[in-house]
Amino acid sequence: MADDLQLNANSEPSMAQLENLTRRQLKELEEKEKTPTQKVIEFIVMILPIVCGFIAVAEYLIIPDKGMNKNPMYYIYVLAIFMAAYVIAGIFAFVRKSAGNKIFYEKLHYRAPLFAALFLFLAVYDYLTLKTGILTQPFIPCMNFIINAFVKEYPMLIDCTINTLKLLFIGYGIGVSLGLVTGITCGYSKKVRYWIDPIIKFLGPIPTSTWIPITMVIATSLFMGAVFIIALGSWFAVTVASITGISNVDKDFFEAAKTLGASKRQLVFRVAIPHAMPSILQGCTQAMSSSCVALMIAEMLGVKSGLGWYMTWQTGWASYDKVFAALFVICLIFTLVTKVLERIKRYVLRWQNGGEK
Amino acid sequence: MSDRNVTLKLENVSKVFAKVESDEVTHALHNVSTTMESGEFISLVGPSGCGKSTILRLVAGLITPTLGKVTVNDVEVDGPHPQRGMVFQKPTLFPWLTVEKNIGFSLDMQGTLKGNEDKVARMLKVIGLEKFKDDYPAQLSGGMAQRVALVRSLINEPEILLLDEPLGALDAFTRMNMQDEILSIWAERKQLALMVTHDVDEAIYMGSRVIVMDANPGRIIADIKIDEPFPRDRSSASFVEYRNDILNKLHFGGKHTD
Repeated sequence: MADDLQLNANSEPSMAQLENLTRRQLKELEEKEKTPTQKVIEFIVMILPIVCGFIAVAEYLIIPDKGMNKNPMYYIYVLAIFMAAYVIAGIFAFVRKSAGNKIFYEKLHYRAPLFAALFLFLAVYDYLTLKTGILTQPFIPCMNFIINAFVKEYPMLIDCTINTLKLLFIGYGIGVSLGLVTGITCGYSKKVRYWIDPIIKFLGPIPTSTWIPITMVIATSLFMGAVFIIALGSWFAVTVASITGISNVDKDFFEAAKTLGASKRQLVFRVAIPHAMPSILQGCTQAMSSSCVALMIAEMLGVKSGLGWYMTWQTGWASYDKVFAALFVICLIFTLVTKVLERIKRYVLRWQNGGEK
Repeated sequence: MSDRNVTLKLENVSKVFAKVESDEVTHALHNVSTTMESGEFISLVGPSGCGKSTILRLVAGLITPTLGKVTVNDVEVDGPHPQRGMVFQKPTLFPWLTVEKNIGFSLDMQGTLKGNEDKVARMLKVIGLEKFKDDYPAQLSGGMAQRVALVRSLINEPEILLLDEPLGALDAFTRMNMQDEILSIWAERKQLALMVTHDVDEAIYMGSRVIVMDANPGRIIADIKIDEPFPRDRSSASFVEYRNDILNKLHFGGKHTD
């Protein structure tokens, strides 16, 4: 395939080459030759992150610190690691490009300005905190302090992360499973819906966090109380989404399935549920974000473990570097969880994206 | 089983529907009686509201008659059965299943898919979509989707094939192609086929018998046997005569004046 590409780039394509053309090849075929200026600009964009990286390093090393900074300069190491990673990715992209595969190069080129901006942001942030103290110290600690907090506190942070994840997944798991059961039975059976509907109507408008003070008093353990709160929120989101999904199933699908010999049970499991899947998964995503909120509030208000608790505790000690470190971990966890959910959704609903295989 | 002769009877069937918004009712079918046999390709033609689709849905067992009864070999129809396969105007393919799995759906529901994969493969071959077996319905054109829907019902080798305006949503050329395709599939086993259409030409071109219906209340106004060998010539004198006859009965004929 690489040979074809070279041919297309260098000479007028023959009619024979137009057969069996992939979409990528067509795009490259119809693309105009880049002018020298464009090529130069493209190259500058590619090396921009490195330049900005050096600016960030220089900013840290050259400008004198305003306050005390006895911490080892892990910040510089992290910057160096980022830059090295980018260089390796860049070399890899150029190798692949010269072998005829431009995809990775284009992706990197697309992201390069963002990486550059990130390095610049770090430099500016460092200047505003460590170097000048324009942003009030110690409430907004500089990056070097935060990274040092990571290094010093990582066993504690890992421990808290595990506790947080445990709470999140137990609550979410219970809520989603119960939500699926009630949602699907309600969606299919009018009788069940008759009894469940008022409960949903009554509980629905109450934000889950409202329950926290009450639950913390009633629940046998704080952990169970938090699980209950998280489960309640997820249960509600998934139930509502499943009911909507299932009651929106086109009646034609049921009729077609019936004439094809589907039993009542099969109508539920083989027609209604797959058809409602987009809505159900939407509910699961929503449940996750409401769980995350409930989780943090629960940990900050009562539960004696987890990242939320750690943040409140460290705020009490005025260790804002550690608070920020925990904040980064929370951000990372929630991003990862959302990404994983998104992936699952994409896989399950692969039939929705028409052209993609 | 395929050689089993079936007799489908509608005995004084009336169907009344309640209207959605008001307290009134619609008389979709009024005292309809007719008999149909294996080997016939029956076209039901008439204006909208004449109850032609209602007849199909009664035979399919999706609805029950208000009065009278529908019997197959003297056994009253109670509910849908894969032996009475139905193709709808919309292909109603399950979008979450591949073409292959859609075709095998019915066998899967009856737990007989294992060991019968060759049946699915044969059906794919009949409609020439072997290459598309792993595609999802969203990737198919209207004509392809309707072909899949057709063989999805045929895989059970139904004694009665119900076609509810199956070609209504297709463009004129695909439509003519598929008329021939459906006829050749039908010619193989000569099951009882019952097709609803509001295209008089299509009714005559495909039917061995055309039942003409009228609305308010829905009833049969003519039952015409088409004595022409297949394939038929749309421009032959006899074809035109049949068409004029049917259009006159529906008061659309050119010759008809009051």
